[in-house]
Amino acid sequence: MWKRSVLPHLRLIWDYFRTNLASAMEYRASFLMQAVGMAINDVFFLFFWWMVFQQSSSLGGYEFNDVMSIWALSASTFGLLHIFFGNVRKLNGLVQSGELDIFLLQPRDPYIHAHTARMNFSAWGDFVYALLLFLFISGFHPGKWLLFLLFTIGGALLLGAVLSMADALVFYWGDSSGVTRLVTEFMLNFSLYPESIFRPGVKWIIYTILPTAFVVFIPYRVIQHFNLPVCLGVFAVDIFAVLLARKVFNSGLKRYASGNRMGARM
Amino acid sequence: MKTMLTASKLTKNYRAKIKEPGLAGSIRAIRQPQYREIVAVDEIDLEVERGEMLAFLGPNGAGKSTTIKMLTGILTPTSGTMSVAGLVPGKDQRELAYRIGSVFGQKSMLYWHLPALDSFRLLGAIYDVESNVLQKRLDALVELLEIGEHLKTPVRKLSLGERMRCEVAASLLHKPEILFLDEPTIGLDVVVKAKIREMIRRINREEGVTVFLTSHDIGDVEQLCRRSVIINHGRMILDSTVDEIKRSYLHKKVIRVQYVMDIDCTALEGFKVLQCKGNEAVLEVDAKDSSMHDTMGRLMAVGEVADVTISGMPMEEIISAIFQQEDSRREKGGDDA
Repeated sequence: MWKRSVLPHLRLIWDYFRTNLASAMEYRASFLMQAVGMAINDVFFLFFWWMVFQQSSSLGGYEFNDVMSIWALSASTFGLLHIFFGNVRKLNGLVQSGELDIFLLQPRDPYIHAHTARMNFSAWGDFVYALLLFLFISGFHPGKWLLFLLFTIGGALLLGAVLSMADALVFYWGDSSGVTRLVTEFMLNFSLYPESIFRPGVKWIIYTILPTAFVVFIPYRVIQHFNLPVCLGVFAVDIFAVLLARKVFNSGLKRYASGNRMGARM
Repeated sequence: MKTMLTASKLTKNYRAKIKEPGLAGSIRAIRQPQYREIVAVDEIDLEVERGEMLAFLGPNGAGKSTTIKMLTGILTPTSGTMSVAGLVPGKDQRELAYRIGSVFGQKSMLYWHLPALDSFRLLGAIYDVESNVLQKRLDALVELLEIGEHLKTPVRKLSLGERMRCEVAASLLHKPEILFLDEPTIGLDVVVKAKIREMIRRINREEGVTVFLTSHDIGDVEQLCRRSVIINHGRMILDSTVDEIKRSYLHKKVIRVQYVMDIDCTALEGFKVLQCKGNEAVLEVDAKDSSMHDTMGRLMAVGEVADVTISGMPMEEIISAIFQQEDSRREKGGDDA
């Protein structure tokens, strides 16, 4: 089952990763500028929180290290997602221009294929920054690192699933770019602040339709105090979300109308 | 199995929103949206034999690309049935993908910033081609398409012709049984067009690949295909051999006359004059309406003839005449209704 249902997808993702990285190396200066630029942008965020915690040592029960840890999880998740699935949030354009055709003509799962075919170079900045930040905050504790990396992968899958479901509305509405942008901003903003500051209504949202809690807050609690059932529960939610997003995508595909805009693969 | 492709009453409808121009129109469209049903492909029946090269022709918007996209599984038909290589496009899409190749002149399968070789390797992995098999296949295609010197050059630095040959190679890496070519020679110069056509002929002859071709370039049709299907407004209006189509229009001739001195073009009244300038005139005559003897007599009466060339009607104009006949038939049908 593993060999037939998962391994081909992992091979495809790896093949695209190598090809996209090779493509990035064609313009090394641009690649480095994008990645470093994003990392510098992230450093400003760190500075902002440092200033806040100069005024108060605790915010809603969260200390500086706690906020930095959830920020590291959030940035690594976002970075990893856009490194391996750079077309997430770009489905709208692919559908409108008819570029999705290529993925439908090839013998691979179109949902995974369409999303993994591109790499977002600036995401490397987020990812590397997040790893350095977590190293700085938590030191090198193998157990914590293993969980951090596993939750980064799971969170990237969950975040990707939510964003791709928002994007798949393009099949029904003709344009979903606004919704995808909003969902991205909500998911990101909710993942940057301590969970305890949110009111019950917002909490309901982050545990259901915009499940930021399963991307950062619950994983962070598990990293701090390991709990196997909760850990497995988070991964179950991640897998469920991916399967649901794939189903939504495939349902929308039946309404795909293609297009004739000229294009090249970048 | 002799039949490669069948389609029965294949239909594709789209629903398009109608909107009056301007902001008021946009607001009205939100309040009371109105839609128009567009029939892009209307009950097309088609059968293509294994190893055949078929030209699928029609003007822009006739439904050619929509038909190809349904046959390759990209679009879901509104109704009708189809089968390609014994599989149902869309339903058996994964298996079908291994057996079809496609070149869409307007869309690239190659990475813009990378050498074509990198894209070929990626495609080899996508199509599960073993690396030693891929290498042998690549060697054969490199020789056939003469792309050896371009393999390591980034695609963005290739000329359109070189890129198109690489696109064709990309579509053939997995040894497809049927090749869908949508405008494969668009924008190419005559030399490259000839090379691409020769390569398509060889693939068909040597590997038995069925070719389903759409093109606005009549040279592609004349030089590659024995049979052509013509569609207009989504409906099939003709399914015949290319020779048969030409024969039906053989009575139409194009006469180019060169006179010793400049002529008065009004003296050619009664002829269908395609061009008249100085001492030269190009006319279209129908041999069914008047004999060539009478025609030549009338032309020689206009002035002293220095040279005459009589040729059959170009294929391009034949196709255009077929479209026009179909359009006027439809208009009459509409008026009658």
